[in-house]
Amino acid sequence: MVEPSLVLYGALYEEALRVLEEALRETGARYALLVDRKGFVLAHKEALWAPKPPPLDSLATLAAGNAAATQALAKLLGEARFQEQVLQGERMGLYVDEAGEHALLLLVFDENAPLGKVKLHGKRAAEALARLAEEALAHPPKLHLDTEYREEAKALLDELFN
Amino acid sequence: MSTINFANREINFKIVYYGPGLSGKTTNLKWIYGKIPEGRKGEMVSLATEDERTLFFDFLPLDLGEVKGFKTRFHLYTVPGQVFYNASRKLILRGVDGIVFVADSAPNRLRANAESMRNMRENLAEYGLKVEDLPVVLQVNKRDLPDALPVEMVRAVVDPEGRFPVFEAVATEGKGVFETLKEVSRLVLARVGSGA
Repeated sequence: MVEPSLVLYGALYEEALRVLEEALRETGARYALLVDRKGFVLAHKEALWAPKPPPLDSLATLAAGNAAATQALAKLLGEARFQEQVLQGERMGLYVDEAGEHALLLLVFDENAPLGKVKLHGKRAAEALARLAEEALAHPPKLHLDTEYREEAKALLDELFN
Repeated sequence: MSTINFANREINFKIVYYGPGLSGKTTNLKWIYGKIPEGRKGEMVSLATEDERTLFFDFLPLDLGEVKGFKTRFHLYTVPGQVFYNASRKLILRGVDGIVFVADSAPNRLRANAESMRNMRENLAEYGLKVEDLPVVLQVNKRDLPDALPVEMVRAVVDPEGRFPVFEAVATEGKGVFETLKEVSRLVLARVGSGA
């Protein structure tokens, strides 16, 4: 199946941010991200008290790669899917859950966030985000980018690579 | 299939470097990483074995800049070239917008080039994609080998119909690296808004 382009904007995007914010508040996590299965960040929120996050691109890419590998493992073992994934170190942890077929929820938390709460509210947030993603896929916006966009982009390519 | 983030006004493209093991895919990315100025690139992530063979993928995000109010970014990936890592290769192709096929000029890698291309076609088919439907650029690497095969001979086994743009390269010296990336980027951008 060709990967659909998941685009969040307007009210759906605002709602996604609200869900991420609530997940941060309820779990005590530092960062909450909604990423697509290709590893691109669709929306993210940081707790006000949290230090500067690690590079979000890298975080999203690695988590998406890891989720894809986990999914492939599940299939090998005859399971439709392994859902949430929790990775825990001494101080930091990562919760990853499917937000439907096309997106993932990532919660980065530290040792002060109770794991039970992370799992409970993480699951709720993932379900809410899955519904938003489905809605976004059902009504994809038209992208009005024309030849002017392509020409300008080409000029930037020349500048970057020459 | 680019990912568009309207809220942050970003358009992101995924470009994958494919090809047989040791053909120079990671070397391409390392060269790019070394030459692109700070501020236009993110961190390069390599998931490799201890002997520096790609285990899962390499990843390098590049910022093209702002175009018509949209930050335009390319995410570059390599796949692991070794035959037995096919499950990983398949995963990396998900959502791909453009491909650089890095072929090896060594005579004893001619068959590996052909097999890798066939493998790429099979893996794309699992996502409902045909190689003909995607921007693909062929990079014939290691042109500095004393016994390098003629480009046309390499091309004949991976692209017999001559469909893809071809670039000769010596990735260890950076020759042909930017030219290849620029062409695949141009082809990917050409599809924006075209409905492809």
